[in-house]
Amino acid sequence: MSSVELRGITKRFGAVEVIKGLDLSINDGSFTALLGPSGCGKSTLLRIVAGLEQASGGQVVIGGRDVTGAAPAERGVAMVFQSYALYPHLTVEQNICFSLSLARAPKAEQKAQAARVARMLQLEPLMGRRPAELSGGQRQRVAIGRALVRDPEVFLFDEPLSNLDALLRVQMRLELAKLHQELGTTMIYVTHDQVEAMTLADRIVVLDRGRIAQVGSPLDLYNAPANRFVAGFIGSPGMNFLPARVTREGAGLVAELPGGGRLALPMRALRGAGGTSEVGIRPEHLRLADPGTGDLDGRVSVVENLGNTAYVHVETPAGPLVVEADPGLRADPGMAVGVRVDVGRAHVFDADGVAWPLAA
Amino acid sequence: MTAIPMEAARVTRLRRLNVAGGALTALIVLAAVAWAFPLYWGIVTSLKVEQDVVRPGVHLIPERWTLDAYTYVLFNSQIGRWYVNSVVTAGAVTVLVVAMSAAAGYALSQLRFPGKRLLWWLILASFMVPIPALLVNHFVLMAQFGLLNSWAGVVLPQLIAPVTVIIYKQFFDSVPRDFREAAVMDGATELQLLFRLYLPMNWGITTALAIITFIGAWNTFLWPFLAVTSEDMMNISVGITQVNDAFGVRYARLMAAALLAALPVALVYLVFQRRVTQAIMLTAGIKG
Ligand SMILES: Nc1ncnc2c1ncn2[C@@H]1O[C@H](COP(=O)(O)OP(=O)(O)OP(=O)(O)O)[C@@H](O)[C@H]1O
Ligand SMILES: [Mg+2]
Repeated sequence: MSSVELRGITKRFGAVEVIKGLDLSINDGSFTALLGPSGCGKSTLLRIVAGLEQASGGQVVIGGRDVTGAAPAERGVAMVFQSYALYPHLTVEQNICFSLSLARAPKAEQKAQAARVARMLQLEPLMGRRPAELSGGQRQRVAIGRALVRDPEVFLFDEPLSNLDALLRVQMRLELAKLHQELGTTMIYVTHDQVEAMTLADRIVVLDRGRIAQVGSPLDLYNAPANRFVAGFIGSPGMNFLPARVTREGAGLVAELPGGGRLALPMRALRGAGGTSEVGIRPEHLRLADPGTGDLDGRVSVVENLGNTAYVHVETPAGPLVVEADPGLRADPGMAVGVRVDVGRAHVFDADGVAWPLAA
Repeated sequence: MTAIPMEAARVTRLRRLNVAGGALTALIVLAAVAWAFPLYWGIVTSLKVEQDVVRPGVHLIPERWTLDAYTYVLFNSQIGRWYVNSVVTAGAVTVLVVAMSAAAGYALSQLRFPGKRLLWWLILASFMVPIPALLVNHFVLMAQFGLLNSWAGVVLPQLIAPVTVIIYKQFFDSVPRDFREAAVMDGATELQLLFRLYLPMNWGITTALAIITFIGAWNTFLWPFLAVTSEDMMNISVGITQVNDAFGVRYARLMAAALLAALPVALVYLVFQRRVTQAIMLTAGIKG
């Protein structure tokens, strides 16, 4: 078990700067997700921690030890690859023992270690098989076993579940969560799937084009996004954004929307206010109402009914909105509706996309 | 418009197809017979009495069967010695070529070092040079080393094998990077990467290349013929030219010796048939 600290990490591929001066400290025993869209540098960052990639600048510190120049095997980290990278010519048992065998550990110890890992991951009946004879989920478990046998201080996962079908992914997600509870080892987990990040991690690092957009607990990110990027990235369907002119009025704020709409926000702005900005509201903080009785009026364009909930797309003069509604509600395309806004849950972003610090 | 005329049309079409197929089969059989005939002729000749061999006329089946030619070759020539020479030199060539090519292919494919690109181009270029064009140089070099009439002298010039290096490099290139990285995370050194990962993952290639190298080295004639003048250092391919006596060429004995020389290769081929074809396709892919 060890903490991981990244200090001023930069990474250039040729002229392209992929990681731009990144500082991050990851607590001992935490489960941290690196989340971000494709190409934002998640894998690169993970590979820098693993030692598979050399940073162009900055320091990597694991367990208080500067390992910036250390070889991957000397860092006490183990990695599970997206492709699993199970050695095709070896059996499951040999795959798991490979690192011990390279280190010339006695055969008996190798066997014992493999048996211990197999018990943890329910791999016992598969020990004699080769990777080609395993299902996706079984391969995934072997890959985890191969990392586990080394007793690493830090586990690194690069989108380990993305090759599995939806059902298996949910199941493996649960197993990973259990594994983390059992071992208590520091885990760093790369994903572009926000649901995985939200459910597994106790801390999420959102990356945007090589920079940290925000670090926080899943609920922090959901309830208090620091910027428009995080607000839009976390949550599905995403937050609604409406262009607005926000001004102070009395104790609160007033947002003037295009098309003449007005929202009175009950929050106080702690810093800078005024000018063009955007108001963000999550679909679940909007309700449908009778026309004329809500804060905004519009017409239904599409209804997505999921059974347990429904998403109603509404065209309003202020812009398109997605509203979470009762699935029993009758709303047909073309219908005129009102939209009521839970103004206390709205977010305000300035022209640069930075969230206004607001207080109730 | 019933189904019957259509059915009839299909039948005639099928019949026409059958005729064409039959003709093609006959043609192929004919070609195969033409190809195999010299082999048959050689075997038959080796089983004839020498007088019958030189008798005018074509005799497809010997009138008198005999193993005299074989017993003569086995007991009156140094064929045992030649076998040993061939086994040692061809074996050494095989082991050395495969080991060196695997290492070179790995270095070219996976390592970073100064001059790598130059080395690669040199290997590609050397593969454009026909080996026979270097015979004189090889001969002079081996003579200066004092290695003529020795196993080493026969083996050394045969170690130039750019094609196997190229094949290894290509196969190592095609191993996904994740395997290498996983092994590096597991603590593998470069040597372990080669011997525990890259080679075992490509065993098929190694056996295929070993077999084809062995067959090539066993059958090679020109260089061993030049490099060796003393009869007891000859390879079997060279040795069989020595099977004549004061009365000149004896065809039955020559054929018997040739068949004995070819026997190991034929056996290797029979045992490893699939690997050999694979290897031929591999090298053809490079050369073609
Ligand atoms: N070896 C490399 N050489 C050049 N550019 C690279 C290299 N590896 C990654 N990149 C670039 O760096 C950027 C970040 O890549 P990275 O693999 O870290 O993205 P990612 O966040 O993991 O994306 P994904 O979710 O698609 O895996 C990309 O724009 C990519 O093209
Ligand atoms: Mg990635």
